[in-house]
Amino acid sequence: MQDNHAEHEQKAWRALFASDPDGLIACPSCDTLHVAAAVAPGQVARCKRCHFALIAPRRDTLDRTLALALTSAILMLAVLGFPFLTLSRQGLANEISILGMIGELAHGWYMLLAIAVAMFVIGLPMLRAAALVYVVWGLRRNRAPRAARHVFRLAEAIRPWAMTEVFIIGTGVALVKVAGLARVSFGAAFWIFCVMVLVLALKNASVCRWTIWAMIGGRNS
Amino acid sequence: MRARDMGWIGCHNCGAVHDKGSRSCRTCGARLHGRLPNSLQKLWAWLVTGVFFLIPANLYPLISNEVFGHEEGHTILEGIVVFAESGDYLVAGVIFLASFVIPAFKVLVIAILALSIQFHWQLDRRVRHLLYEFVEFIGRWSMIDVFVVALLTGLVHLGAILAFLPGVGAICFALSVICTMLSAQALDSRLIWDGVENE
Repeated sequence: MQDNHAEHEQKAWRALFASDPDGLIACPSCDTLHVAAAVAPGQVARCKRCHFALIAPRRDTLDRTLALALTSAILMLAVLGFPFLTLSRQGLANEISILGMIGELAHGWYMLLAIAVAMFVIGLPMLRAAALVYVVWGLRRNRAPRAARHVFRLAEAIRPWAMTEVFIIGTGVALVKVAGLARVSFGAAFWIFCVMVLVLALKNASVCRWTIWAMIGGRNS
Repeated sequence: MRARDMGWIGCHNCGAVHDKGSRSCRTCGARLHGRLPNSLQKLWAWLVTGVFFLIPANLYPLISNEVFGHEEGHTILEGIVVFAESGDYLVAGVIFLASFVIPAFKVLVIAILALSIQFHWQLDRRVRHLLYEFVEFIGRWSMIDVFVVALLTGLVHLGAILAFLPGVGAICFALSVICTMLSAQALDSRLIWDGVENE
């Protein structure tokens, strides 16, 4: 009886696969099969076994992602151009930008730290933003750019390595450490950086992987 | 029903379902694997490297400060004690969590996940999955201390009065964080739900 039931289920899955293989999703997190259903914007379809967010469409996901990615890039330019923090003690003042800080570090083996900061805080977040702009720009004009698959996979792979929000918490800790030793005042770049962290978080939330893959794959959903 | 039970391959990247024998995903172009090959070997290799870097990271000074030419170095734990002694309990707590508790806990959790898969331990899968998600989420936050060192060194230059110099511990710690992040990423989470390791 039990076997009969399993056989029946397998048969049903096979029929679904034969009629439209793209109508099925195997949960990337646990391999459980699902039938892809239409999900309303703002709703999330989760895996019934591991609760991985399979489909989480947003209203105007393309426009929103494009706008937020471009905004984050502009804010980053501003962050790099303006002073980040100013330190003063006993008449000596030192005003420095993030780029200046990286430049100060770039000597000898400290270079490794400079590279780490440049990569995790500036390079990778901007590379991800650029990759998303490339993919989304093309999709908005109803055709996936030639390299869209590689570029979107790259954008997703970079995600855990973009650490702007970790850096801002680090700034807080550093300020406490210096507080007793020198007077600190915030530059424009500090506040712009805070806004940028917010914009990047909104951007990450506006990307629905399933929707974008479906579009790149030439499906309408 | 899993894709594997049907003899199909689910793309680990985008979830598209494929016939057995397919090589690359028609939707996202990723190489298809029933389960990622050598997932656990890669996990162990990165994890052991990460633990290896954690030792000098805790023994050598993370940062030293030079106040009026007098240089003084602090390891991670000494730094936490300094914060606590000066009354900044919140910051001491944040650093204690990010630089000490989380790295140690993370290594432990990754090891438990790998062992439970390898030896088919009867751990609740939901619990294992929660642990996995926790490790994936928390990994990057350990970088806080590295950024603090970079900020202090790069920002604070007040002539002879005050300067910070990074210690060897900082770079070892950063490498350890990177290795353990790669270790967690090497794990094919589908193995957690199989309870069977193969391919």
